[in-house]
Amino acid sequence: MRIPGFGILKGLRQTGRNYWAPKVTNQYPESRPTMPDRWRGRLDLIYDPFGEHKCEVCFQCAQVCPVEAIDMSGFDSTGKRIRYGLPEIYDERKDPNAYRRAGLPAAPMRNAARWDEAIDAPWLHGVIDGFGGRPEALVAIFSAVEERYGYLPERALHETSDRMSIHWAQIFGAAGLGGFRLLPSDGHLVTVCTCAACRFAGGDALLEAIRADLGIGPGESTADGSITLETSDDVAAGALSPALRVDTLVYGPLTVEQGRHVVAERRKAPVRQRIAALVS
Amino acid sequence: MTWEIFLGILRFLLSTTLILLLTIPTAFVVIQMELKVIAGTQLRFGPNRIGPWGMFQSTIHGFKVLAKEDQIPDQADRATFTLAPWMVYMAAAMSMLVIPFAPGAIAADFNIGIVYFFAVLGLSVVGLLVAGWASYNKYSLLGGLRSAAQMVSYEIPLTLSVVGAVVLGGTLNFRELIEWQQQHGWMLLWQPIGFGIFYIASLAEINRTPFDMVEADSELVAGPFTEYSGMRFGFFFFAEYVALFIMSGIMISLFFGGWLAPWPFPAQLGGFVGTIYGVFWFFLKTYIFIAVAVWLRATLVRVRIDQLMGMAWKVLLPLAMVNLLLTAVAVLVFKL
Repeated sequence: MRIPGFGILKGLRQTGRNYWAPKVTNQYPESRPTMPDRWRGRLDLIYDPFGEHKCEVCFQCAQVCPVEAIDMSGFDSTGKRIRYGLPEIYDERKDPNAYRRAGLPAAPMRNAARWDEAIDAPWLHGVIDGFGGRPEALVAIFSAVEERYGYLPERALHETSDRMSIHWAQIFGAAGLGGFRLLPSDGHLVTVCTCAACRFAGGDALLEAIRADLGIGPGESTADGSITLETSDDVAAGALSPALRVDTLVYGPLTVEQGRHVVAERRKAPVRQRIAALVS
Repeated sequence: MTWEIFLGILRFLLSTTLILLLTIPTAFVVIQMELKVIAGTQLRFGPNRIGPWGMFQSTIHGFKVLAKEDQIPDQADRATFTLAPWMVYMAAAMSMLVIPFAPGAIAADFNIGIVYFFAVLGLSVVGLLVAGWASYNKYSLLGGLRSAAQMVSYEIPLTLSVVGAVVLGGTLNFRELIEWQQQHGWMLLWQPIGFGIFYIASLAEINRTPFDMVEADSELVAGPFTEYSGMRFGFFFFAEYVALFIMSGIMISLFFGGWLAPWPFPAQLGGFVGTIYGVFWFFLKTYIFIAVAVWLRATLVRVRIDQLMGMAWKVLLPLAMVNLLLTAVAVLVFKL
């Protein structure tokens, strides 16, 4: 049987109980909740287990962000400050004076003499136009440039950016991911992978052994200029850990002895010939 | 003789000023209570930053309203637009004159206090109607008309429910009615149906949930207050809470023995001590009823306008008539 007003009494009982019940409000500034270890309440660059940035400053996230909320800056492999943002801000970045205002070195740190090597612009335009200026041909265009110069000169990247109307940041991001060489080198470029997977699989020991063999640290070249040693997080080895890359060829998984053998063997072969052979 | 007239005028001016001044802290206290009680029923703490236990939150709100810009729409009727909040507020403040706080603490103790009370309380309808019309806004006009319809409809059962108590007590004076209750027990025991009708109708009369049709936000924006801002809106807001206090006060005076303690009033308590004792009981009972009204607001949803009007005319009015008839017959038969 329905008694009129009974529902009201039930509601009053509920609210009345609530009034005397413990309150659930968090008194925020005074009492802060303890968050779980894996809590990610704040956007931050994520570090790998060895305390290094996982971010490669490849701008891929900034490019795809639909609301263009990501505005990022970092350093490219030459130690040059690069930035992704609105075009007008970006233009200011290109001004060499902007480096000096920011207290940054305006010149690249290594191979300064050949870093801004003059390039054959009409030839590059021909290559780009040969692909119809299509963005998906970017990797092929980079391959052609690397074939001719042995690396991707910055001026060539700028020229590509202008010719294809693609942001410099995007060009740089694509070039950085494709395994292309961004630095001129007379000798071979040995890149030891330092991604988390490779380091767990013994990448540190591999790097130590190669350092001992060559007598140089990462970022340095041997006295005869035949080998430049680098470390990178994106040799793209995946299941090949631990891996290293010599020029554009990836080797792995390697034992320490195998790694030393590979480097010693590759050191004997001339660089440009190998690249030419690879392309043809 | 002339001195007595002068003293009477002085006493009247003093008491009206005091009553007018009393409305402001009363509104602050009631609003604070509403904030805290509703927060409690929703498992929140409510305001707890300003002052000890956050007790000055509503006061700060009041002063904030003072600092806000006061806008008048271009097409509005300036004179009536300005007058409306004043009318609503004065209706509330004036009806406070006859509230019997304690023996010897009634601002205007005259013999038709109950008639005066309901007459003055009805003036706020005029204020709301004027506010709705002067705003030059469809929502305001509709809201004003609707609140007028609601309040006029509910005034009839509200007044009729009290007539039973008046017939029993044989007086229209609040003080004498309370003294009658001192001898015969609380009026609630004599007039339970009358109290039920009075309680429901009083909620509707002062636009409390579940009858707060004046501000049915989803239908009428803010009803007649839509175009009001700053302290003009503040007056409407204050008047609402002062009216809640007054209605609770009148309710306990009519049905719960007013300033009387639940046990027999000590006869030896007279003069100043008796006044303080009465004031204590009056405020205690009044705030209990305000708390119940707030509790209801935290619980119930708003009723529909047709349900609201149907209840006034089809349920409460016949009930009040029957109640009055039964009371009159009982008075005649039992020579009460």
